[in-house]
Amino acid sequence: MSANTTNTNIDQNVLAALLDRLIPAIDDLPSAGQMGLAEEIIRLSGQQDRFSKIFTNAMGSFASINPNFITSDGTEQDAAIRAFESNSPELFDSILTISYIVYYKDERVHKRIGWSGNTPQPDGNEMEPWDESILENMRKREPFWRQV
Amino acid sequence: MNTQNATAEETVDILVIGAGASGGAATAWLAEAGFNVKCLEQGYWQDPSKYASASKDYEFEMLTNWAPDPNKRQREEDYPVNDTDSPVTPVMFNGVGGSTILWTAHTPRFHPSDFRVKTLDGVADDWPLTYDELEEFYDLNDEVMGCSGINGDPANPPRSPRQMPPLPLGKDGRKLISGFEKLGWHWWPSDSYINSQRYGEGRDACNYCGHNHMGCYQRAKSSTDLTYWPRALRSGATIETGARVRRITVDENGRATGADYIDAKGNERHQSARAVIMAANGIGTPRLMLNSKSDAHPEGLANSSGLVGKNLMFHPFAMISGVFPEKMETWQGPLGNIGLSQEFYETDKSRGFVRGYTYQFQRSLGPAWIAKGGFRDPVPWGEGHHEELQKRLGSVMGMAVIGEDLPEEHNMVDLDPELTDSHGIPAPRLNYTLSKNSRDQLDHAIGNAKKVLEAAGASDIHVDPMMRQSGWHLMGTARMGDDPKKSVVDKWGQAHDVDNLFIVDGSVFVTGAAVNPTPTIQALALRTADYIVSNRQDLKG
Repeated sequence: MSANTTNTNIDQNVLAALLDRLIPAIDDLPSAGQMGLAEEIIRLSGQQDRFSKIFTNAMGSFASINPNFITSDGTEQDAAIRAFESNSPELFDSILTISYIVYYKDERVHKRIGWSGNTPQPDGNEMEPWDESILENMRKREPFWRQV
Repeated sequence: MNTQNATAEETVDILVIGAGASGGAATAWLAEAGFNVKCLEQGYWQDPSKYASASKDYEFEMLTNWAPDPNKRQREEDYPVNDTDSPVTPVMFNGVGGSTILWTAHTPRFHPSDFRVKTLDGVADDWPLTYDELEEFYDLNDEVMGCSGINGDPANPPRSPRQMPPLPLGKDGRKLISGFEKLGWHWWPSDSYINSQRYGEGRDACNYCGHNHMGCYQRAKSSTDLTYWPRALRSGATIETGARVRRITVDENGRATGADYIDAKGNERHQSARAVIMAANGIGTPRLMLNSKSDAHPEGLANSSGLVGKNLMFHPFAMISGVFPEKMETWQGPLGNIGLSQEFYETDKSRGFVRGYTYQFQRSLGPAWIAKGGFRDPVPWGEGHHEELQKRLGSVMGMAVIGEDLPEEHNMVDLDPELTDSHGIPAPRLNYTLSKNSRDQLDHAIGNAKKVLEAAGASDIHVDPMMRQSGWHLMGTARMGDDPKKSVVDKWGQAHDVDNLFIVDGSVFVTGAAVNPTPTIQALALRTADYIVSNRQDLKG
């Protein structure tokens, strides 16, 4: 189930450049590559064998198709990403998904978007109690289930 | 495979295969009645404190090590399912508690009409039992599992009081409901096997973490490892985990004698029993029966009808979601346990299809879940990403359509000629096509869902016309009936061909209704167990 390894077959520089285009800078936050998220993405991707293989394959494919990606300008980079997205949607999805996961677990991002950043448990959330009055209209309705 | 090295075991009265929703219920009932019951479960006990919801990497875990699809989860205890020829992928969990570990615990009941579709609508077959015959077992199951909900639903017959009041609707739930109210369409608070207050043994109230579909850290969501299994074990039942069953064994007359299995250490073993109960779900049970060919059962165990594995039913799901202008903290509260609508549940042939559907209301979760898309396409990357994320976060609500999928023999589970599990046992293969009637239901539901969302104030409505990862409800693959030529088990779940073989999971469903099936599965399991207690004392050693 868990590979628990760090994937050393991924070019961290290509990933960082890719991240910069996927999630650009906003307000006082730099783009995702500049935030230094590539290392965490590589670590997390190694936590399951199946995903690790898909992600490594995706990054390998992307890098081999676009050997000059890092030195290309933004417009060319975006075109390369869109071509990869179109031609290899499942591979691209693995890159996009883990990029979003790692970006949105970063405390700097939480602070900017006003997200608590807590894990779902153990604290949970507060909800207002059940209010019976909302059923007032439905309780007036005649039964309409089908008699057998 | 020879079993010469198998360790001799005590012969038990009843051997149960699978420790999930139905296996737990049947085991507890029989053990409390004095039967010597043993269960073989290929998975393991779960520690709620280690569920993914308490991990900082919970979003990643949901896609991988805790994914509901076994083909993505790929734990040692999982088996692969070839779903290449199915637009719906299977969803299940292998462990004590089975799929109740990862379910949302949304627990409506079948309607009385669901048991009489042939008589009422001229399609499929009637069940060999009625809602009234099953009602007392629904009630018993509610008591053990613990149901939050409220009486008075005009879409359903009157019934016994729930154990707890409904879960609160929340700002988001009330907003969605306003659309139904404006249209004058039915809605009602969900029945959920989730504690709205403390209930059961060591089970706290829900703390609305929103991630009940990934295991409940709080033990507020009911799963059979927390409900039926403690009772079963106290009554003397035993369970062996990490035990993968290779085949059900039979004697020269074709009667079940137990099971060959591989234990957690990899040893080939045999467990002998006076009767066997299959509770391995609507894919696992036919897989095992088809893997249990013998001279007495050359087409697979209890398969003289040829129907083992046939008539596979899912509930094809469509998902319609919208973005509301308000921020409603939609990540607070169980994901799919707000309410339902059964305005279009019963047949109205003027709609162009038979049978009907339920809407199950859906929340949305945190920023990573939203960015990945949730029920929608992912938030676009690049320019405009941040604006779109902010627009959706806390503002997306959805309606899942659960349509009634009628049985068709060509929809089936069989054995893959090449794919095997980690022990070399042939894996199941799905062959499933959505029928025109089911497609017409979904399309009708999509149109009406748009009206609801718009009436409630949502915009940017997104439609997933059929969710791929939606095979939660696995039904029909060893159907019950009175005629041995047209069914695998009788009205008590006893195999027509083998009088000491019983099936208690969703395989026995004749039709699937348009609601989540687990309360019905468990009620049927209790009914079968009650039949054994009352009529099969010969199975006691």
